[in-house]
Amino acid sequence: MTKPRPVTGLAPDGRMRRNARRILQVRIDEVYSFDGLVADPANVTELHDMRIACKRLRYLLEIFGIAFDADLDPFLEEVKGLQDLLGDIHDCDVQVPMLEDHLRWLSDREGGAARRLVAQTAASRPRRRTAAAPKPASEAAFRAFERQLEPGRRGDERIGVHALIARRRRERDELYGEFLDTWRRLKAERFRPRLEAAIGIEDDA
Amino acid sequence: MAKAWEVPGLRGDARFRDAAGRVILTRWTEMMSYREGTLLGEDIEELHAMRVSSRRLRAAMDAFEGAFPAKSFKGYLRQVKEITDVLGDARDLDVAIERLNGLLPDLRRDERAGIEGLIARYRAERAAEDPLIAALFARIDESRFERRLSRYVEKHTGVLLAKLKPRPPED
Repeated sequence: MTKPRPVTGLAPDGRMRRNARRILQVRIDEVYSFDGLVADPANVTELHDMRIACKRLRYLLEIFGIAFDADLDPFLEEVKGLQDLLGDIHDCDVQVPMLEDHLRWLSDREGGAARRLVAQTAASRPRRRTAAAPKPASEAAFRAFERQLEPGRRGDERIGVHALIARRRRERDELYGEFLDTWRRLKAERFRPRLEAAIGIEDDA
Repeated sequence: MAKAWEVPGLRGDARFRDAAGRVILTRWTEMMSYREGTLLGEDIEELHAMRVSSRRLRAAMDAFEGAFPAKSFKGYLRQVKEITDVLGDARDLDVAIERLNGLLPDLRRDERAGIEGLIARYRAERAAEDPLIAALFARIDESRFERRLSRYVEKHTGVLLAKLKPRPPED
């Protein structure tokens, strides 16, 4: 996660509005610094960082909204919508590796259970004094072994986890498409210059 | 989602330092109002409300960082970040369990075992979070963080918590 850019030139004893304007300017820049980078759905880190930048901007609009005459709520809602979409994309990006890890965990547990059973079976066999080849196991012994192995098997659990991984990947594709549409729309509707005008950024320029 | 508490006496033309004190002290009080319910662990919404409040507090501290000496402020910010992170880990598992439970009725029979197994694993991980939350608040108490934070904010903003008296919104 990228650290927030430092804000310089604040006057703590000055009015909230003037300071809020400087802080918001930096945070708006931060959100827009990801424009271009997020055009590639594979840029998982950049999408996550843009979410964090949107979150920071959203909270600042909430906190500092009272300092401005213009109604910032419509801007706040747009930023929140963007943050939510990026959040849902991030959830998918985090969940798929977690589910893949869960599949490995299931395999490990199954493998461990099988190894323990093999070791127990070997230990329970009578030791032979000669190096003669071991007798083949009887059908009954094989069935008993299979029955004992059954509780440790996790194969049937994998089906649902694979299905969930596929579902999350589909959702991710849909969410990314929705995000891209929203981001393009905001740019087409001149979201940034409208927001900057609402908080009077051009007044300080 | 729990509604944010109104910040007493906050005006649009306030000085930055004064607004900093009012907002941070209100958000701190708001967050700590969910402490008992979170530690009790009977209702996952209490932890959720505390997490949301902790994020509001953290956002307020980020916003008003410029009103405090940079070096000393970082320590307070770090502690609040730890609260958000610890609560966040538990909340993420609560959400994951809830979502997976919501999927179960629509799943094919052969898919259910996997999701039920996953829920069981997340439940075990979630149970392990409760002692971490309890330990976090024990550390906060031991270090008298609540008192230190309010005094620090009061010193640098001139806003007194006893006079501010933040309250939850009336329904």
